[in-house]
Amino acid sequence: MWRDISTWTAEVRWIFAKEWRCELRTRYALNTLGLFAFTTLIVVSMALGGPVGLSEPARPFLAVLLWVILLFAATAGLPRTFVHEEESRTAVQLRLAARPSSLFCGKAFYNLTLVFALEALITPLYVVIFELPVASRGGLVLGLLAGGYGLAVGSTLVAAMIAQAGTRGPLFAVVAFPILLPVLKIAVDAALASVLGEPAISLLTLALLYDAMLTIGSLMVFPAIWNP
Amino acid sequence: MTADSICLQFEDLHRGFGRLRVLRGVSGVVYEGEILLVTGSNGSGKSTLLRCLAGLAVPERGTIEYRIQGRSYDMAQRRRAVGYVAPEADFYRELSAVENLDFFGRLRGVGAAAGRRLLDELGLPHDRLAGALSSGMQQRLRWALALHHQPPILLLDEPLQNLDRAGRHDVLRLLQNHLDSGLAVVANPDPLDVGHVARHLDLDG
Repeated sequence: MWRDISTWTAEVRWIFAKEWRCELRTRYALNTLGLFAFTTLIVVSMALGGPVGLSEPARPFLAVLLWVILLFAATAGLPRTFVHEEESRTAVQLRLAARPSSLFCGKAFYNLTLVFALEALITPLYVVIFELPVASRGGLVLGLLAGGYGLAVGSTLVAAMIAQAGTRGPLFAVVAFPILLPVLKIAVDAALASVLGEPAISLLTLALLYDAMLTIGSLMVFPAIWNP
Repeated sequence: MTADSICLQFEDLHRGFGRLRVLRGVSGVVYEGEILLVTGSNGSGKSTLLRCLAGLAVPERGTIEYRIQGRSYDMAQRRRAVGYVAPEADFYRELSAVENLDFFGRLRGVGAAAGRRLLDELGLPHDRLAGALSSGMQQRLRWALALHHQPPILLLDEPLQNLDRAGRHDVLRLLQNHLDSGLAVVANPDPLDVGHVARHLDLDG
C-alpha cells in the first residue's frame, strides 16, 4: 500500500541527476551554451582587435564585457529548463510526483553547474586572449561565483514563468530584466573592482544578500507558478 | 464505509475555459474496491474532471474530498496520492523505460526492483528508449508509471488507447489487482467492460 516516504533531499538529488542524464543524451544546453559563448568570445575578440587594439585605460572595462558574454550564453541555454517539460508533456508527471520546492532546487542546481562550467571554461580563455589585468584573482572568482549563482537561480525562476506563458521567446527578456539586472550590476561592479584592485567585499556581501533573497523569494513563488 | 477505507467524493464541480462551460455541477462518489466509470462524448469534460480530481486543475466551484485511512488530503497531497494515466501525462523519451520508472519511483520513495517487476508484467523492454517504444508500449509505460508507487486512487483517462488485446488483458489484470486495496475512476467516450464498475457517471446526460 502507498505511503508518501520520499525525502526532500532525495527528490532534489534525483531531479538533478535526471537533468544531467537527459542533458548528456541530448546535449541541447551544453551545445547551445558552448556555441553562444565561444562565438561571442571570438566576435568580441575580432571586433576589438585583441589586447593590442585596446588603450590601457579602457582595458579594465573588459571585465564588463566578460559578463555580457556569460549572460548572452546563459540566456540562450537556460530558459528551456521548464519549457522542455511542458512541450514534451512530462510536466504533468512531475507535478504529480515531485514537491515544487524540490523540483525548483533540483533544476536550479543543474543550471548552477551549467553556469559554473561555462564560467570555468570562458573566463580563463577570456583573461588569456585579452591579457586582462586582474589585480585580485580571488575577488574575480568570488564575484563570478556569486553572480553565477544569481544568474542560475534567477534564470530557473524566469524559465518556470515562461513555460506557463503562451508567447515564450520575447517574454524571457521582459521577465528576466528586473530579476537578473540587480545581480548582474553587482557582479559587473565586483569584476571591475577586482580588475582595478579596489576592495570588493561590500559588493560581494551585497551579491550574497541578493542571492539569498532571490533563493527565498523563488522558493516562495515557485509553487504558485508551477501548480494551478 | 469503514474508517480505514478509501473514498473519493466530489460535489457540484464547475469548470470552464473562458466562456466555454465544461463541467456544470458534476457530483460523484467512489469507494475502495470500486470503479467509477465516467462516459461522455468528446468535449463533455471527462479529461477536465480527471484533471480536477488529480489536483492538476482547480474547479471554479465545488468540493473534492479524498479520505484515505481516515485522513483528508489537501490538493498538494492529492497529486502525490494518485496514479494517473492520460495522453497528456508523458515520460522522458531520451530515457529508457526502466530509467523513467526508476526516476518517477524514486521521487516517491519507491525502489528500483518493484519497477522492474512491473515492466516484466507489462511485457516492456527495460532498456529501450521510451521514445523508441511503439504507441501501444508507450501506453503500457503510462500504466507502469501510474501503478509503480501503489497509489490508493487511480485516475484513468482513455486507459485502453492504442493497446492490443494482450495489452488490454495485462492492464485490466493489474487494474483488478489494484482494486484489492484501492479505487479507480475511468474516463472513456464509451462504456468499457473493465469489471467492478460500481457507479456510472454520464457527462452527456
